[in-house]
Amino acid sequence: MVFSIALHYLHDRESAEEVAQDVFVQLYRQRDRLSGPGHVTAWLRRVACHRSIDYARSHRLDPKIGLEELAEPASEERPGDPMLREKLRKLILSLSEKARMVMILRYQEDLDPEEIARELEMPVSTVKSHLQRSLATLREKFGRALGGSLG
Amino acid sequence: MSRLDDELSNELKKALRREEPPVGFEGRLMARLSSESKRETGLARWFKLALPRFPMMSRLAFASVLCLMFVAGVHYERERQERVEGEAAKAKLMQALRVTGTELQAMREKVMASSGDRAAGE
Repeated sequence: MVFSIALHYLHDRESAEEVAQDVFVQLYRQRDRLSGPGHVTAWLRRVACHRSIDYARSHRLDPKIGLEELAEPASEERPGDPMLREKLRKLILSLSEKARMVMILRYQEDLDPEEIARELEMPVSTVKSHLQRSLATLREKFGRALGGSLG
Repeated sequence: MSRLDDELSNELKKALRREEPPVGFEGRLMARLSSESKRETGLARWFKLALPRFPMMSRLAFASVLCLMFVAGVHYERERQERVEGEAAKAKLMQALRVTGTELQAMREKVMASSGDRAAGE
């Protein structure tokens, strides 16, 4: 979970490992303050999110890819296509930092907007707005490829 | 939700599925943690030994005792200062009384002397 959050956020395996290691070292230092597996999981998730955001800021890892630079998916790309998934990942990477993390928590961790709001310390309405705007962008960009197979 | 949204949602779940850490991640982490535990010496270890159970409660109790000691120290210092000032004031008063007593004695002697002279004259 920790490595995966960092990987999807930073899109770089080496940086993701660095962040994940830091998170576990921090967990080790604060082990006395945490009680129960549920608490530890929530703590790990929250710290992984914030550490990833901080890492991207401090290492200036903001993606250089703009939405307009992403090519439209080819008409032969269909749901289940690994190329399509990679393009989805790149598109997610081009979202703003908060919107990106909201998408990761929604689709990797399967959290609902209320839970995401708690993790990222932001209002639920902001989380919902990020989700709606990100999905609208994705729908617009990939709707043709995804809809093509659905008739 | 339309079929397109369902499909998009499924694709997003697949694109953002959990990824496993690279090979050797655990070993590298354990190496970092073992060097981290070696750093835990001196005061930190003493604290761990002294407060092994209910760490949060123990720390709160420890902090309360420290606060109490600080307040008691301030109170004691204030009392000591008041006592010193009181003793100085008492010493000044005693000196004033002594001076007054000496002057009174001199005055009494003068009165006695002058009344003795008057009696002798009569």
